Order: sequence, then structure tokens, then C-alpha cells
Amino acid sequence: MLPDWVEPVARYMLVEGLVGTLQIAAIALAGSVLVGITFGTLLTIKFLPLRGLIRLYIEVWRGLPILVTIFVIFFALPAVSQQLEFDALTAAAIGLILWGSAQVAEATRGAVQSIPREQHEAASALGFGWIGRHSFVIMPQALRRLLPPLVSLLVNIIQNTTIAQVIGATELLEAGERQSERLVAPAPIGLGEIHAFEIYAGVMVVFFLISFPLTRLAAVLEKRLV
Amino acid sequence: MNFALVATFLTDLTSFVSDNFDELAAGLRRTLVLSAIAIAGAFFIGLVLGAARAHRIPVISPLAAIYVEVIRNTPILVQIFFLYFGLPQVGVRLDAFTVAWLAVTIWGGAFNTENFRAGFEAVPHRYREAGLALGFSRVATFLNVTLPIGGRIALPSSINTYISVLKNTSLMYVIAYPELTTTALQIQALTLETVETFTVLAVTYLVLVWTMSALIRLLEARLALPEERS
Repeated sequence: MLPDWVEPVARYMLVEGLVGTLQIAAIALAGSVLVGITFGTLLTIKFLPLRGLIRLYIEVWRGLPILVTIFVIFFALPAVSQQLEFDALTAAAIGLILWGSAQVAEATRGAVQSIPREQHEAASALGFGWIGRHSFVIMPQALRRLLPPLVSLLVNIIQNTTIAQVIGATELLEAGERQSERLVAPAPIGLGEIHAFEIYAGVMVVFFLISFPLTRLAAVLEKRLV
Repeated sequence: MNFALVATFLTDLTSFVSDNFDELAAGLRRTLVLSAIAIAGAFFIGLVLGAARAHRIPVISPLAAIYVEVIRNTPILVQIFFLYFGLPQVGVRLDAFTVAWLAVTIWGGAFNTENFRAGFEAVPHRYREAGLALGFSRVATFLNVTLPIGGRIALPSSINTYISVLKNTSLMYVIAYPELTTTALQIQALTLETVETFTVLAVTYLVLVWTMSALIRLLEARLALPEERS
């Protein structure tokens, strides 16, 4: 059987940690898709200043390590203005959205451009404006092409939520670290034992169980839809 | 835009850089050394295991598949924690530098194995058959036919992996290895010049990553397969 220390540690890691991880991931995914699809569609407009700005946005947030982006949001923004002070979870989510939306924007541009011109013309002939044409005619078709990269993005977002640990947000890795440190403490609090090996191996197993089916799904979708 | 404010900030930045130049340069050098080791290692791992995967070499190919899936489906930050904080419990003590280069090499190697496998598998089967029909051995066919063509097909995706390797060296902050990010945060803690520190840090990474992708685009154009050259 499992030793006694495992049960409370695992419960804390799943109830506090995993829930935090999924929370950050859900916010980051929703934000990345929303911002990314908007920017990616705007990128297909042939208006240079706008395209330049979105390009810059994409290249900056794709170019920076996510850790540095999160540090900038968490440490540098509050130094500029008091109003820009975020808690760790929000700062991590914003950092992931900036990075994720840059990825989605790039993928969306390709997906929208892959829709034949006739679709645009037919939609215009039916009286759709630019917004209506993209939301009701082009995007539903582009989404098919976008689905495999979005599933891969979800995997990457879930894995990158661990970076929130560095600024102390409660997620799976942070929960594991707290428990590992607690167990080292003497008797009433911990056990005076080191269990870092089992705990971090456990964190890896949980991430693997979540990510592996999703990467398989992305591969299957890629074969089926494209 | 307040022009005077921008001017003051730029002078601040210059004095910040000149005040902390030695530390920043040392940090940057360590980031570059780590990246160079890891890129070379990832190239080698990717080449060998990618070839093993593409040619379905018994024993090695399934083991390589497990390695790739484990590394790709777990966060690199947890891998770093496991190597640095988990392994000492079972008697394996690695110093920060070893964990730093090892973690990014293992990570890059896994992604590169997949890049090279896809590249080698994209080489039309008839090319390989032609090589064998001309009397080349299997190894010679690989070196003269599959590698030059498949390697170029794998180039764009493997290059993205190398850029990610460079960016991932920043994660060595968690084990306090004094590369660029760790150094910058130490300077920030001492000087409290928060905005200057993070501006310099972010700009340095952008310059590194943008230069790397520009250089690589040149290389890609030079190495493009003849039929894709425009």
C-alpha cells in the first residue's frame, strides 16, 4: 500500500494545485483564441500601418521567453503605475495570453488566407459587410483548419502554466513544491523526510496524463481535417 | 508622448547598462554558452534518434518514441525541478550548470527527434530505392540521399526548436544558475531599478531571438531544395 504521507499531499496537489493550473489554462486559452483570431483576421487586411502593428505584437510576444514576459507584467508594470498591479495568477494568465494570442494570430492568418476568394465574393454578393462576412462565412470554414493548431496550443498553454510557479501562483508545480518543503519540516508539520523525487515525478505523471491524449487528438485532427 | 520623459529614460537606461555591464555581459555569455551546448546536443540527438525512428530500427526506435512522448508531454520546468530537486533524494547530485545544459539538451533533443523523423520520412521512398539500386549500402544511402534531402525538409521546424531552446534557458532562473535572466533579477534586487532592468532584459532577448531567426532565414534560403528555390 501507499505510505501515509501520500494521501494528504496528493489531495492538496490536486484540489489546490491542479484546479489552479486548469484555471490559468482556461483563462489563457479563451483569451489567446479571442485576441489571436481577431488579430489574425485583421492581419489579412491590406492596410500597412495596421499590419505593421500586429506584426510587431506577434514578433515581440513570440520572441520573448514567457518567463520574461510574466516578470515584466508582475514586477515592472507596478513600478510604472500602481494601477497596473496584478496578483500572480492574473499576471501569469496575461503573460500566457500575450504569447498564445501571437501564436493563434499567425495560424489564423494562414487559415483565413486559405479560404478561396470566391467565398469572400459570394458573401459580399449576399450583402454581408466585412465583419459579417468574416464571422459567418470565412471564420466557420477557417476554424476547421485552425482546430489542430489550437489543440497543440492548449497542450503548450497547460505546460506553460507551470511558469506561474516562479511568481508564486498556486498551480500544480507550486503545490508540489509546498508539499515537498512541508514534508522536510520536523514532526508536527512534516515528517523530516525528503520526498521531492516522488512528488515531482507525480507532477510529471499528472501533466503527461493530461497532455498525451491531447497531442494524440491534435495528430488525428491534423490527418482528418487538412 | 512626453519627449523629455523619454529622453530621461534613455539616459537612465544607458547609465544602467554601463553600471552593470560586466554582470550583464557575464550573464549573456552564460546564456549563449548554454544555448550553444544545447543546440549542438539537440542536433546530434535529433539526427541519431530521428534516423532510428524513420528507419524503424528495432529496440532504439520504440525507446526513442517513449523518450519523445515523455519529454514533449511534460513541462520543461517540472523536468528541471525533477533533475535539480528530485534526483538528489536518490543520490544523483547535479550542480546547477549541469542541470541547466542537460535539461535544455534533453528537451531540444526530444523535439528535434520528431522534426528529423518527419523530415526523413518525407523523403520519397523511390529515392532510397534508387540509392540502394546503385549499390550504396544502407548507411551510405542514408548519408548521401536521405540526410541531405530530409535534413533540409526538417530545417525550418528544427530551427524553431533551437530558438525555443534559447528562450528556455531563461527557466534556469529557478535553479539560480546565473544566466541572463537570473543575473538581471539579481541586479534588480540590488539596485531596485525595476523598469530599467526589465527593459534591458526584454530587449536583449528580442535582439537575440530576432537575430537568430534572421540568420536562420538566410541559411534556409541557401540550403533550400533546388525545386523550392524561387
